[in-house]
Amino acid sequence: MGILENRFQDNVVVAKLDKLIGWARSTSPWYFQFGLACCAIEMMATAASRHDLERLGMMPRSSPRQADVMIVAGTVTMKMALRVKKLYEQMADPKYVIAMGSCATSGGPYWQHGYHVLKGVDIVVPVDVYVPGCPPRPEALIEGLLKLQEKILEERPLTRKMA
Amino acid sequence: MGVIHGEEMVLNIGPQHPSTHGVLRLKVKTDGEIISEITPVIGYLHRCFEKHCENMTYDQVIPYTDRCDYLAAMANNFGYVVAVEELMELKVPEKVEYIRVIMAEFQRIASHLLALGVYGLDIGAFTPFLFMLRDRERILDMFEMTCGARLLYNYMWVGGVSHDLPKGFVETAFQFLDYFEPQIDEYNKLLTYNKIFVERTADIGVLPADVAISYGVSGPNLRASGVKWDLRRNAPYSIYDKFEFDVCIGDGAKGTLGDCWDRYYVRMLEVKESVKILRQALAQIPKDGDVHQALPKKIRPPKGSIYSRTETPRGDLGFYIVSDGSPIPTRVKMRSPAFTALAVLGELAGGWMMSDVISILGSLDIVLGEIDR
Amino acid sequence: MSSDQEKLIAELVEKGLAGDMDPINAIEDRVLRSKAKSALAKAKRAAKVAAATAPEADKAADEIPEETPPSDHPNQKFGKMIEDKFPGVLEADLNDTHIQLKPDNWFEIAKWLKSEPALHFDSLQCHTGMDVGENMLEARYNLHSMTHDHKIEIRIAVSRDKANIPSIEQIWRIGDWFERETYDMFGIFFDGHRDHRRMLLPEDWEGYPLRKDYEVQQTYHGIAIPKVKEGWE
Repeated sequence: MGILENRFQDNVVVAKLDKLIGWARSTSPWYFQFGLACCAIEMMATAASRHDLERLGMMPRSSPRQADVMIVAGTVTMKMALRVKKLYEQMADPKYVIAMGSCATSGGPYWQHGYHVLKGVDIVVPVDVYVPGCPPRPEALIEGLLKLQEKILEERPLTRKMA
Repeated sequence: MGVIHGEEMVLNIGPQHPSTHGVLRLKVKTDGEIISEITPVIGYLHRCFEKHCENMTYDQVIPYTDRCDYLAAMANNFGYVVAVEELMELKVPEKVEYIRVIMAEFQRIASHLLALGVYGLDIGAFTPFLFMLRDRERILDMFEMTCGARLLYNYMWVGGVSHDLPKGFVETAFQFLDYFEPQIDEYNKLLTYNKIFVERTADIGVLPADVAISYGVSGPNLRASGVKWDLRRNAPYSIYDKFEFDVCIGDGAKGTLGDCWDRYYVRMLEVKESVKILRQALAQIPKDGDVHQALPKKIRPPKGSIYSRTETPRGDLGFYIVSDGSPIPTRVKMRSPAFTALAVLGELAGGWMMSDVISILGSLDIVLGEIDR
Repeated sequence: MSSDQEKLIAELVEKGLAGDMDPINAIEDRVLRSKAKSALAKAKRAAKVAAATAPEADKAADEIPEETPPSDHPNQKFGKMIEDKFPGVLEADLNDTHIQLKPDNWFEIAKWLKSEPALHFDSLQCHTGMDVGENMLEARYNLHSMTHDHKIEIRIAVSRDKANIPSIEQIWRIGDWFERETYDMFGIFFDGHRDHRRMLLPEDWEGYPLRKDYEVQQTYHGIAIPKVKEGWE
């Protein structure tokens, strides 16, 4: 205490730096529109007039270098899996991945006889939030994004991680 | 005016980029501005649909057909179910036929709205996209009222449909049609006759009729080149012969016959024709009837094969089904209209500039789920 | 079931097949009546199958001379026209559903099918492959004419070891992509195709998936492809 006590007036907010950074990051995640299949249409519908995503601060970006969240919407095939990894590596830290739909979560309806389908995108990239559904409703996707916001808030980026 | 030619290079568009209609890769040989050759590379969404069909029963295949052309799922269901019923020589009640036509036409409007909106988005017009999606949401509300799903329905079954129309559906539908018809004029004012849009799409990507037929192009792409061919009129299936509607063909109003503007405008006209068909169908639908009465206990078609076609918003969807008498099909081949539309892209795009490629690709209205199956 | 009952049921079935349902309906005992009705249904089904095979047996007897059985179906007419123009190319007898051809002269036949004014098959609607078993693969072509509005299905069967069919991609331009896809899925080679490579699967994929004996490979570029989990059925 000492020199900091009774120092600031009422209109100055003092908080932990960790929390400030978390709050700033979580409220404007720009998503990388990686729409592959049917879930992409629901992602577009979520961004359109009725369930507006921009009011939550989420702007669609088409380049991975400008995005924070990669929403993998749709089935990932073997031919595409290598490109998913490449695009994930092009995103700048901090980056998060949402697996949208059952195909991205675990292969979806193609789990049994799909020789060319990757059974879940978490085989190639680390996933933070899974949104189930085939396709998930726009409200479900918004809930997934809000859960991601909670996860980002809980992170403590400045704390040194124990090795 | 002198044209400056640079050195040739191969540019790669895709498989991920915003103005594509799925995961499509285009290898473009260009000198910087003028395109000399374009090669589409597909297969990034190959989900082994045909292998699944060989291991599932006939009714288990229906959700998989939904996911092929995910923008017009009702139309896919319709095509598959018509093929299986023709193979089994099964007759469905009249109410089921009316419900199927109503759903198929609403799906046609929804699919065309999305195609036109996304085409505007590709060209750079953001507002018509939002307006058209807003109206499409109202149609999806009606679908949700009937069968519970917004995008992939599994609604049409072999011998019937999964749920009857709920109470109040016909009134809601009429309210929607009354609201929607003036909206078409608003879209025309916003986008169709917009000077910038016309300059970006007229006289570009002209598709002559004989090239179109040789490439097997069908649907609005073929009709925009002046060929009057619509399966609902030339080879009617279900009860389409009971309704009065025109087959819209392009006429080169803003440029050459068969250019991108024509393909866009034919879709806009088709939305109007669908509204006409819907008004007739909703007025004529029988009030009572059981939609489940013709559902077969076990779907076991006789030995044989059949190739049957229906008209989806993208063109002729063909199903070639081979049966050997067991409840599991031996071979189901889905001949998708977008496959042929993408095949013709190589012919269309030579000699145009880079920004015209997106214009041409958008006007063909492809869906990669259907191409790769 | 006692022998009296069996004899009674046999009589009732005879009468029922002749169209007389009254004796069956007049039986008081519910169990016996239902047994009689089910025996009648079985007998009717057997009679239908016998009736279907009987004309075929007659037809087989008729086919020994070289006349094809006359039929008004347009498929038979097309088959005859092809046989007249290209003798010896039909692989099987004419029927109402499809035309079976040998792969040898297919390019000329296809060109003639498109250019002949009475046929004018200008649109290749669907091209598919089929694993028909017994070491044979088949390519099936569905052709359609926009001017005359008639259609035809042509099948060409080849053996697995030498699966070569002439390519028709120069005649119907969509054949380019259709044939590439059939090669990708079945492994049928199309001679004369200018760009013969896989279409849907990656270039370095092994095997032809839609064959009935396809075994998926273990890994692809380091990603393991899991087999179907056994206990999930």
